[in-house]
Amino acid sequence: MLEHGGMDGVFKALADPTRRAVIAQLSCRRRAVSELAQPFDMALPSFVQHLKVLERCGLVRSEKVGRVRSYELVPKRLREAESWLCEQRQMWEQRLDQLDAYLEELKATEDQEGTL
Amino acid sequence: MSNNNFPWTLNPKLDLVLERVVDVPVHMVWKAWTDPKHLVKWFTPRPWKTVECKIDLRPGGQFYTVMQSPEGETQPPGNGCYLEVIENQRLVWTGALGPGFRPNDTSEAPFLFTAAIVLEEVKGSDGKPATKYTAIAMHSEEAGCKTHSDMGFHEGWGAALDQLVELAKTW
Repeated sequence: MLEHGGMDGVFKALADPTRRAVIAQLSCRRRAVSELAQPFDMALPSFVQHLKVLERCGLVRSEKVGRVRSYELVPKRLREAESWLCEQRQMWEQRLDQLDAYLEELKATEDQEGTL
Repeated sequence: MSNNNFPWTLNPKLDLVLERVVDVPVHMVWKAWTDPKHLVKWFTPRPWKTVECKIDLRPGGQFYTVMQSPEGETQPPGNGCYLEVIENQRLVWTGALGPGFRPNDTSEAPFLFTAAIVLEEVKGSDGKPATKYTAIAMHSEEAGCKTHSDMGFHEGWGAALDQLVELAKTW
């Protein structure tokens, strides 16, 4: 009934501060690799590894135009990550709404018949 | 909540706590939760249905439900067991254990839960006895890891990511 597949990669990817910072950088717009790497004191190949982790789990996608590869965010993946507990809450709210309505019915019957 | 009514510690990042007051006596709320004939009438959010229910009301006793989709497809049963049964006060059950406290095969149900219903008699709007009840659903940390509200729990998710998720909602 509930979709929750394949999120482990997302959370593993986001467990790293460099990768979280990349996500934050991408939250306003698409950026080229060199621009993304600039704030980090890190060799480019290592940095590119981080980008690959993000892309593999579907949080970002990249495109190469000429010699420049640039990255953008895939917001759908983050939405999937945040939705589970929210779904659980909705399910419980509705269940309890139904319970309360049913109890009102029962009470009305009990008042009439004097039994439950 | 951690008091005599539910003397366990909850984690707001993993657990749901829903409190309601309903204008019926405690024993009726208890009945609705513990008698299959009543439970099937309301337990599953519509348009889904509970088509089967077995209740063996004692610690270790079976709490078995089968749901059916709106298209008429029957789902794998929930076969949990009760952990605590205090009539008209508290009912605790889990999906992690089956009848007789035997651990369930959890590969089919990756998110385990323990749930509790805590009942308390209060005075209703008409002065007659009413019931305050609290529904608690506790989840494992694994489940919490998969939720946004839990993002602070993984070290340093930070404000940037919250903003990001806000942004993502608008897309």
